[in-house]
Amino acid sequence: MNKLDKTTIICRCEEISCEEVEEVISNGGRTFDDVKRITRCGMGPCQAKICTSMVAEIIHQQTGLSPSEIPLPRMRMPLSPIKLETLATNSTSFSAVKSVLDEVELEEGKVR
Amino acid sequence: METNYETIVIGGGVVGSGIAYHLSERYKEGVLVLDKKYPMSGTSGSTQAWVWVHNKTPSWYAEFSMYSAELYPYLSKKIGDVEYKRTGGLSPFFNESDREKAQKLAESYRKIGIKIKVLSREEVLEKEPYMNPEVAGATYSSIDGNVNPFRLIDMYMRAAKRNGVRYSTYNRVTEIRQVNGKYLVVSDKGAFECKNLILAGGTWSREIGDMLGVKIPVNQLRGQILVSEPLKPFLNFTISGLRQANNGEVLMGYSMEEAGFNRATTLDVIQETANMAVRYVPGLRKAKIVRAFSGIRAMPEDGFPILGNVPGYENLYVAATHSGVTLSPLIGTLITELIMDGETSIPIDRYSLSRFG
Repeated sequence: MNKLDKTTIICRCEEISCEEVEEVISNGGRTFDDVKRITRCGMGPCQAKICTSMVAEIIHQQTGLSPSEIPLPRMRMPLSPIKLETLATNSTSFSAVKSVLDEVELEEGKVR
Repeated sequence: METNYETIVIGGGVVGSGIAYHLSERYKEGVLVLDKKYPMSGTSGSTQAWVWVHNKTPSWYAEFSMYSAELYPYLSKKIGDVEYKRTGGLSPFFNESDREKAQKLAESYRKIGIKIKVLSREEVLEKEPYMNPEVAGATYSSIDGNVNPFRLIDMYMRAAKRNGVRYSTYNRVTEIRQVNGKYLVVSDKGAFECKNLILAGGTWSREIGDMLGVKIPVNQLRGQILVSEPLKPFLNFTISGLRQANNGEVLMGYSMEEAGFNRATTLDVIQETANMAVRYVPGLRKAKIVRAFSGIRAMPEDGFPILGNVPGYENLYVAATHSGVTLSPLIGTLITELIMDGETSIPIDRYSLSRFG
């Protein structure tokens, strides 16, 4: 780990360098997810499977937090990319999902 | 760290950071932003980030949103590239029966100078060739667009810090007291005193208001979103329900659930979202979904922003709203005017907390 220099690529999917990760932490970021939101580190197809431990190491070095105090990235479904059609059920009835026009209400034939 | 500030903003999300930045443009006295985690870890980092005007009702609320959208190009010039794109917005409908509703909407907007077109099927497909050919029509407005929410908040913070604003993050506010005409804000990292206090806690507004005995009726509304792998650019507009980001990924979702602060994603809503996406743009069927995420929106009880002075309290301000991304440049401008000039350039009386009685 002490071989990391500023230009070392930490996130291969999004090509994020060590320097970019360090900057977030020097601005007050403390977790992988803080780094992720600002740099996109871990947002690519591998979903943080490669870069997690390296980012944790950088956080540890910069903040002194012990590895057990550094939360893991939030893992998100579907973990590995799958086709949209695999998730679709072809139903055309919706309950939680809306169309924007559904939200426009008419009152006595006029828009509210 | 300094403990005395002229102004403290509680909440560093898109609303709080927007206010802090706009305040710092005119006002170099001490401003401190307190955030319980790091900005973007809540609502502001879990959004499709449309800058959206059309379909908002009543028309006075659409007008308010329009003024904010109009500020975005200038904001980008001031704080840096936030990937704001005025793509135009398209809300498709699939039943001919919705056309009448769409026309009524367009009519009510015409009176306030917001132009909405109601498009035929052919016009929709001409604008957006990948839209489902079964579409019946769509409403279209040229003022809608989207922004990269992460860049927006990061740029707000950077610009605010350059202007002298201090941020204290991972610092939860635990108590607020009035002492000698000032506000004492007690937090995990110590107590801070200020003259002006701005409550911009988003989804947590109710809890923060309670610390002062102020009722801020903001509830939570969950939304779930799917993100595709980067695809070559093929969508031209911000479609109500999905948009393509600069890097090519498509964000899909427009759902509402009452789930409190529970930010889980759930298979049923993910499936509905997938159904919506393939219905709108069938070509997405084969696109790979990289992740799902959910966010909790702040939703005032009547749906409209809560802005301005807190009645009965001196130098206490509240900014709690749904559509924080759309409204942030305008809210930042108006709250700054209220603090600096004692009045605002456009009226905000109807957004006063006092309406809840």
